[in-house]
Amino acid sequence: MDIGKKLEVLSEAAKYDASCSSSGSNRKNSSSGIGNSAIGGICHSWSDDGRCISLLKILFTNYCIYDCAYCVNRSSNDLPRATFTPQEVADLTINFYKRNYIEGLFLSSAVHKSPDYTMEQILKTVKLLREKNNYNGYIHLKAIPGADYELIRKAGEYADRMSVNIELPSRTSLSELAPQKKPEDILTPMKKIGKGLKENKLAKNKYENAPDFVPAGQSTQLIVGASPEPDYQILKLSEGLYNNFNLKRVYYSAFVPVSDNKKLPTVNKPPLIREHRLYQADWLLRFYNFEADELLDENHSNFNIELDPKADWAINHLEKFPVEINEVSYNKLLRVPGIGPKSAGRIYKSRKRNKLGYYDLIKMGIVLKRAKYFITCKGKYFAGVPMKKEILEKRLADKSKNLNQLALFNNKEVK
Amino acid sequence: MIYYLYDGSFSGFLTVIYDTFCSKEKPDYILKKSAYQRRLFEKIKEIETNKEKADKVAKAIKNKISKKSYKNIYYSFLSEKKGVELDIFYYLKLAFKKGKTIEENWANDRVRRIKRLSKKVGRERHKYLGLLRFRELKEGILYAPFEPDYNVLPILSNHFASRIKNYRWVIHDKSREFAVIYENGEWIMIDGNELPEVKYGENEKYYQELWKKFFEHITIENRKNLDLQANFMPKKYWNYLIEK
Repeated sequence: MDIGKKLEVLSEAAKYDASCSSSGSNRKNSSSGIGNSAIGGICHSWSDDGRCISLLKILFTNYCIYDCAYCVNRSSNDLPRATFTPQEVADLTINFYKRNYIEGLFLSSAVHKSPDYTMEQILKTVKLLREKNNYNGYIHLKAIPGADYELIRKAGEYADRMSVNIELPSRTSLSELAPQKKPEDILTPMKKIGKGLKENKLAKNKYENAPDFVPAGQSTQLIVGASPEPDYQILKLSEGLYNNFNLKRVYYSAFVPVSDNKKLPTVNKPPLIREHRLYQADWLLRFYNFEADELLDENHSNFNIELDPKADWAINHLEKFPVEINEVSYNKLLRVPGIGPKSAGRIYKSRKRNKLGYYDLIKMGIVLKRAKYFITCKGKYFAGVPMKKEILEKRLADKSKNLNQLALFNNKEVK
Repeated sequence: MIYYLYDGSFSGFLTVIYDTFCSKEKPDYILKKSAYQRRLFEKIKEIETNKEKADKVAKAIKNKISKKSYKNIYYSFLSEKKGVELDIFYYLKLAFKKGKTIEENWANDRVRRIKRLSKKVGRERHKYLGLLRFRELKEGILYAPFEPDYNVLPILSNHFASRIKNYRWVIHDKSREFAVIYENGEWIMIDGNELPEVKYGENEKYYQELWKKFFEHITIENRKNLDLQANFMPKKYWNYLIEK
């Protein structure tokens, strides 16, 4: 099979992985090398689905010994199969990289022959890139569940980021839809990588020359909508992963129907808004000091589709608002809908010098579209509507997502 | 009316700053020579670019105000917006008094304008870090043409100089007709018209085709969203992209 055909098959097979980030690492170029990485990450293109393309995202092979119901590469699926050689992957990476098509390589794989064999192939490929080609650009690798940890650890010395995908957010769903995979095989490498990251940090504090280990951290992916778990359970799982396994990112991937297996729900469209709400909540966990239990609970276990999670939380806690912009603590400022770490920081700094009025906020570039309902400036409330739940709910609803919105004129009238 | 004219370079502009601050004269306009049209009853001062004076001003900005402020001034200068020179002049008048706190002075219109312009230029630079596309020519030279809104070429080069330092490469600003040529850790700026004709190397088409294939197959059809794509990657960038 020629390279072009392989690339088609193996990028097609890799596309359901949501992660494409190239941030978190600042690997330097060497004197005879090619490439470095930018700490903030760089997007190089955007595909027709609007997702950023930063990395050459491919599988090493899509031959698989497993038959997981949700997965497009399951062994019972009838589709073209292909396998790269390490040399082919290295050649594609270097040639795409020097033309500035990509920021690096994302190498994943189906499990071919055995987990160990697959992990060995991945390891061989990165070794070739880093040692033979002197390549110093970004590399994201999959740790193959069930592979010997020594192989995974070794790969971690060459990679910038590693990930193991949990995919299904509960043990029941996993045993239902992916009966051949053991939950332990997924969680154990994550736990060990998390531990390795911590140890590496300590070693780096002690010796300057301690070798790198996954400098951009580890991530994972959860599929949303392939199994019956509510948002609450998914968010609790993410929270646990951030707190206990030292994860950098959890990705959420709206389930795209890839088979007519009876165990799977029938969906016409991937639940994109649900995915979006989970990402918003994920940000609240990581950058806004929220806890999963504040946002959802057993009785209210799914996010409001119409409202973003922060606005939803705020209108259900109106007793905490409005807050006076010149007095409230930084942490409470962060909880005002529409105010993020950047705006909160600006307000916090400026108000030391002089008290801020509503128009000062506008000049500072603070977005007040949502915030104005929850703040007072020098004691004045500027929103102009009473602070009632029903009213605010309507004002804050996400209108762009309203699919049934009526057009002012229908096409016939205009023609 | 006093018109200060300079050669269009950043050093030239900093020389104007040096001279005006020394003479305590307030310019009514600071313009590039090429942008000036002679009219009657106007006093013109043509400022000769002086590297020494320019370096002094640059150093003073970095030490007495802040490095961040220097970056904002340089970036906003590269926006080439009408009147930006005078904005910088007044910004500096204030900044040399206020020191590094100038950056938090949101109430001042000029400060805000400089910061906003600098941000816009920085944003375009970042877009092109990703969207610039090199083509491999004969003899292995990498060539990237583009048409930026702002003059971002001078601030793009250092990124590629460390990233692909062992290649020879050229980045060509087609709208301003000048180019940076890089070889062995050094780069110079030349007139774009001096570049020889572009001829692709033998593998170039092959990798372009592979890239197009990848671009097409990485899309999830069920999630197709061309508006979202165009939000991130507006059409003005498409001219020199391989995949579009």
